[in-house]
Amino acid sequence: MPRIIIDGLEIEVPQGTKVIDAAERLGIMIPRFCYLKSLGAVGACRMCAVTFLQGPFKGVQMSCMIDVQDGMSVSTTHEEAVAFRKQVIEWLMLNHPHDCPVCDEGGQCLLQDETVSGGHGIRRYRGKKRTYRNQYLGVFIAHEMNRCIHCYRCSRFYQEYCGYRDLGVLQMADRVYFGRFEDGQLESPFSGNLVDLCPTGVYTDIPARHKVRSWDLNRSPSLCIHCSLGCNTVANARHRTVWRVEGRFNEALGSEFICDRGRFGFGHTNHPIRPRRAKEGSSFVSLKDAMKSAAEKLRHIHATFGAQAIACLGSARNSLETQTTLRSFCEGLRLPEPHFFVNPHVKKKVCGAVARLDERVAVSLNQVAHADFVLAVGTDPLNEAPMLALAMRQAQRQGASLVVLDPRPSFLPAPHVHMGVAPEALNGVLGGLVRKAMEPGERENTALRSRGFLQSLPGEPFFRAFSDEQEKVDAVLSGLKKSRNPVLVCGTEVVRESTPSLCADLALLLKEVKGRCGLFYVLPGANAFGSALLSGSGESTFLDVIQSMERGFTKALVLVESDPFVHFPHQERLREAMKKLELLVVLDHLPSLPVQTSQVFLPTSTLFEVDSTFISQEGRVQWSRAVHEGGIPMEQWTGGTHPPRVHSTVIPGRDFRACGEILKEMARIVGGKGKVFLPDPWSFLERGPSAPEAPSRGNRPADGKRLIPRESSPELFPLQEGHFTLREETEHAFELLVVEAVFGTEELSAHSPAMEKWEWEPHMWMHEQDAFELGFSQDEVIGMDLDGGTLEVKLKVCPAMARGVLVLPRHHRLQWQKFSDFSMRVPHDCMRKS
Amino acid sequence: MSFKQIQEQANVEWEAFTRSQPLRVLVGSATCGRAAGALEVMEAFEEELGKRSLTSRTGVYEVGCLGMCYAEVLVELTGADGRRILYEGVSPKSVPSLVDSHLVEGHPLLDKAIAVMEGDSLEGVSHFSQLPNVEHQVRVVMRNCGVIDPTRVSHYIARGGYSGMHRALSMTPEEVVAEMTASGLRGRGGAGFPTGVKWGFARKSPGDTKYVICNADEGDPGAFMDRSVLEGDPHAVLEGLLIAGYAIGASQGYVYCRAEYPLAIERVEEAIEQMREKGFLGEGVMGSSFSFDIKIKKGAGAFVCGEETSLMQSIEGKRGMPRSRPPFPAVSGLFGKPTNINNVETLASVSAIMEKGAQWYQGFGTEKSKGTKTFALAGKINRTGLIEVPMGIPLKTIIEDIGGGVPDGKKFKAVQTGGPSGGCVPARFMDLPVDYEHLAQVGSIMGSGGMIVMDEESCMVDVARYFLTFTENESCGKCVPCRMGTQHLLKTLTHISEGCATPDQIETMRKVGDSMKKGSLCGLGQTAPNPVLTTLRYFEDEYRAHIEDKKCPAGVCRALITFHIDPQLCTGCMACAPACPVDAISGEKKKTHHIDQNLCIRCGSCRQACKFDAVVVN
Repeated sequence: MPRIIIDGLEIEVPQGTKVIDAAERLGIMIPRFCYLKSLGAVGACRMCAVTFLQGPFKGVQMSCMIDVQDGMSVSTTHEEAVAFRKQVIEWLMLNHPHDCPVCDEGGQCLLQDETVSGGHGIRRYRGKKRTYRNQYLGVFIAHEMNRCIHCYRCSRFYQEYCGYRDLGVLQMADRVYFGRFEDGQLESPFSGNLVDLCPTGVYTDIPARHKVRSWDLNRSPSLCIHCSLGCNTVANARHRTVWRVEGRFNEALGSEFICDRGRFGFGHTNHPIRPRRAKEGSSFVSLKDAMKSAAEKLRHIHATFGAQAIACLGSARNSLETQTTLRSFCEGLRLPEPHFFVNPHVKKKVCGAVARLDERVAVSLNQVAHADFVLAVGTDPLNEAPMLALAMRQAQRQGASLVVLDPRPSFLPAPHVHMGVAPEALNGVLGGLVRKAMEPGERENTALRSRGFLQSLPGEPFFRAFSDEQEKVDAVLSGLKKSRNPVLVCGTEVVRESTPSLCADLALLLKEVKGRCGLFYVLPGANAFGSALLSGSGESTFLDVIQSMERGFTKALVLVESDPFVHFPHQERLREAMKKLELLVVLDHLPSLPVQTSQVFLPTSTLFEVDSTFISQEGRVQWSRAVHEGGIPMEQWTGGTHPPRVHSTVIPGRDFRACGEILKEMARIVGGKGKVFLPDPWSFLERGPSAPEAPSRGNRPADGKRLIPRESSPELFPLQEGHFTLREETEHAFELLVVEAVFGTEELSAHSPAMEKWEWEPHMWMHEQDAFELGFSQDEVIGMDLDGGTLEVKLKVCPAMARGVLVLPRHHRLQWQKFSDFSMRVPHDCMRKS
Repeated sequence: MSFKQIQEQANVEWEAFTRSQPLRVLVGSATCGRAAGALEVMEAFEEELGKRSLTSRTGVYEVGCLGMCYAEVLVELTGADGRRILYEGVSPKSVPSLVDSHLVEGHPLLDKAIAVMEGDSLEGVSHFSQLPNVEHQVRVVMRNCGVIDPTRVSHYIARGGYSGMHRALSMTPEEVVAEMTASGLRGRGGAGFPTGVKWGFARKSPGDTKYVICNADEGDPGAFMDRSVLEGDPHAVLEGLLIAGYAIGASQGYVYCRAEYPLAIERVEEAIEQMREKGFLGEGVMGSSFSFDIKIKKGAGAFVCGEETSLMQSIEGKRGMPRSRPPFPAVSGLFGKPTNINNVETLASVSAIMEKGAQWYQGFGTEKSKGTKTFALAGKINRTGLIEVPMGIPLKTIIEDIGGGVPDGKKFKAVQTGGPSGGCVPARFMDLPVDYEHLAQVGSIMGSGGMIVMDEESCMVDVARYFLTFTENESCGKCVPCRMGTQHLLKTLTHISEGCATPDQIETMRKVGDSMKKGSLCGLGQTAPNPVLTTLRYFEDEYRAHIEDKKCPAGVCRALITFHIDPQLCTGCMACAPACPVDAISGEKKKTHHIDQNLCIRCGSCRQACKFDAVVVN
């Protein structure tokens, strides 16, 4: 490893380290504009000039362009370099509008900082400033091109890093323009990162525009809870309003970027219709009274009908504190185990996945970005977990091949092979691909144990559907054969129940053969991992609760930040069942349907108002800190952002508490003084050798802490009949897949005003050939007569997706819940044009 | 067909071209000739010959450019006596008399004849090689320009073409590289890096796929050497590219040519087709195991795309912007593969060197700068055009003997070499030998070969401003020093020329220029301040006159000058008043005219219109 002396300090760095990074390791921050570790060096801004005193380079050179070599000696403070950097700053300020007082970047502007630290103060240039016209870039980002210093970060990020083409560099010389060829919404769902990336105020976020000054904001480390990846963020709040969410670097996640769902999806916490006051029946009461009343009522049911008459439902958007407390609440009061999943299939899949994830194969998002082959099974990365799509793109940019086996149309922003495989064929195609790729050579190397497994994998018949796409299959096979560091990505929403564990088995098999193989699950919901851990071992599902409600056994239902109407396929049935309840207690911060019908409603805090813990899909426990106390945003309270003239000691609209605290309080009341023993919530997370310590302020590693066992099950997959069977072709019915989309489907972000402005029309995807055979075409509205009524959706056709499935993004404006069971079959003859 | 047979066949064709038809008309119709009306002249010849029923006995051919731009349209006529006479300034009007007198009657028209190309000399018309502007020239790169029909490969082969490649194939690639190193040829694109050494790097660079590129993106204002060679002798360049491909082990070559050169592109396309027919391209070149192909890539005309890394980005379909070196193209170039990139002139020299040997080439030039160099002479000089001289020739010879000095008896002031990247060489360096080292010593560069001559009426501030306008406009916009530095310098120069600058701005310009040289990403930005820095070095007094006295000594900068009519000289001829675009001149016939200073926009039209030099500049 080469050694270098920077400003008299010597450091040894890995081969290929740039001088600018070596300096950073020494704590010397060389000024820069264009250089960003995640984007690499480009050498455009010339700001990182330093003087090379010894070694192969001499004089003023750019520290971002030169790899550290032995014998180098560099001065960052040499007068020549300092003068040059000062000159660069002077040049950058020639055309800059100096509009800092009205610029949203002001206070957190790199250009401001470098101008001051560079020592430039006197303007020698007397020409006019060049100016530009700004563009409309959509609902998220404002454009102010006059401020641009042409560092090229935005275009490089947008085009190279993310793979979208609609924003880039236009023109040349001092006319260089960063924008679109015409006004319009940015197409990339990662566009919000431009706000963070831009070293000055060219791109600023619209929700916070002209509302706050950066130095006035309360900032705290937070998490994104709009999918299962758990990207790290910084929350910004002032005047009881959360204004802005920024990305935060996490080594395990590999970048400081977040998607637009995560960046602009925070609006639910400020939303005017957020239920903030406790309710008993239809009248508002104080939280204290409501808790008391709810507890009294629960005690009454407990005493009258027994503990079994009370059911609790949590969800994957609960924080870990909420989930563990709920579990503890049920145990303490001897209630049945709480449920966290509405859909029993999803429960099985998520629990199956969580049970199989162990240290042998689990990989982080950053490791996905460094894989040489990524095989995604039954997942649509861009729509389910957008940052995964970006990580896969980074892998591809470094030479990895990407394969997506998924029934849906694929929108991955990177060159990849997409095989439109129907859910029932996923296991077969996946197994077959792995088996074929192992033949003949590598199979011999495998240990006997896995050889048997390998031989039991299915062969040819599963490729029949791809007989005219032999090139695709060959490409996948050769990629898999060549790979030395493959990663299997497995979804849990559209796949069959056995797929997650098959993926785990195959990952172990590939690891045995290749020495390395990663497994990366995509789960439904920010804390789906925690939900699975705390679901308990019982076979009972939420469906049993519904039946029990229908039969009148279950008298009380406690909904803990959970809305069963979102996921239950038969809305009418659920409504009827809930009518039979004697007590419905709802704890939530979203204006969900049950909030309105509840006997007692208890408002809870959001992520931004209480310290919370979440477990991401790779089992990483991560912590978020409250950014403010909450309460009705000043804007809504006073009609402006100025504090009110009349002061009060109570924060308006602050009569809510964290879910877990409410549960604890209720348990105390239900059980009477000292009678209820609540087990330590963290005791439920004990899983073999890697049992987590309960989080405390002092025990929160910056990158989180992975909570998975060293080895889950040593047994390989016991092959069962039926896992590799194909559905009969004769069945004249579609399988409806209700899926996620980047925007508009996720529960929390659907309540964000910024998102609402960027809404698309609900639609449904069908294979081109299927549509042709039924006489349907693109953009027609299709009516489906289902058990629970008629569902009308606009049709989109796609040639590259699975046959025999309907793909329906779960748009929050769409009432798709008209099916009698979770299998959701749509017979051909019930479909018509309308 | 073996190469020998091809050569024999070509010789037959060349013989037929030169001898078979008794009468012959060669029209210099490269872009320069065409601009002067060469195609009309050709049509006129065909028409006149048709009228006189001479068509069957006369061959009319297009040839490339001889380099004598001042004398276009150039036509070479061969009469029945076999004497070849070169005529200058031919227009369609003069064609009938030329046909009648020279072709029909056999009497050359002496007043239009400029030189005798072959045959007995004529009274008052010297032999071509003894022309004062040809005498000092040595034509290696331009060996065939204006002599052969560029659309016929046989002409090129008959004049020794492709024997260089044939010879190269009998050697190992390493020997070819060694031969090139021995010849002392240095890159003619401007930087002057030894070609053989460059090839050696690309040769040694590991990789199965390698590329060679011919850089024909000639972008300097006032430079047209490459265009002329491509139009007049495309095979010389393509053979060079073929040899380079063989030497470094590439199988694919690119010719990157700006789209503003449609004729050059057409000629190269034709030539590539002919190479394919002859078996010089494709699988097994000339029956050897070496395979090679050439593609043409048209550039959109950005100046920066002449810089090698930008050029490669452009070929890859990306935005033409340079990147930092290392890695050098020889290690990681086009599509990330080892790439060798040479200029048109270099490659045309390569084919000559391989034909005649390194020893022969070493005979020209100085110790460190071997061979010959083409220059495009432009500006305030009598004989504008293209010249090729041995390295080390004194500047004086070029300006005075070859160029014929400054017109109208004005005083020679300076010459800008190397285009917008180069510097101004003042008159006091008239004896300077023109080679890489000496030009660098005086703060200029060889560049691609543009030479713009300035006389006493050229304002050096204006000259610097002209070049900065170009570079400011052509900066790719990637790195700050170039993008902003050019803007900074240009605006300051504009202020100086408008008389509203302060003395401290001279120092500011020096510092800005110095920072640009130090910190720019590519050659464009590093050399862009050169015109300012060299004019500041040699003509600081002129700058000071603008700033301190608010005067433009050369009378060019409009904001600082006024036009007056000298009553002593004015004859009242009324020529100036109609020429004035703003009706600022008043006066009656035969009476002194007067310029209204409030209306005058200082365009100088009156000065040009006046036949008595009565309009004077203050």
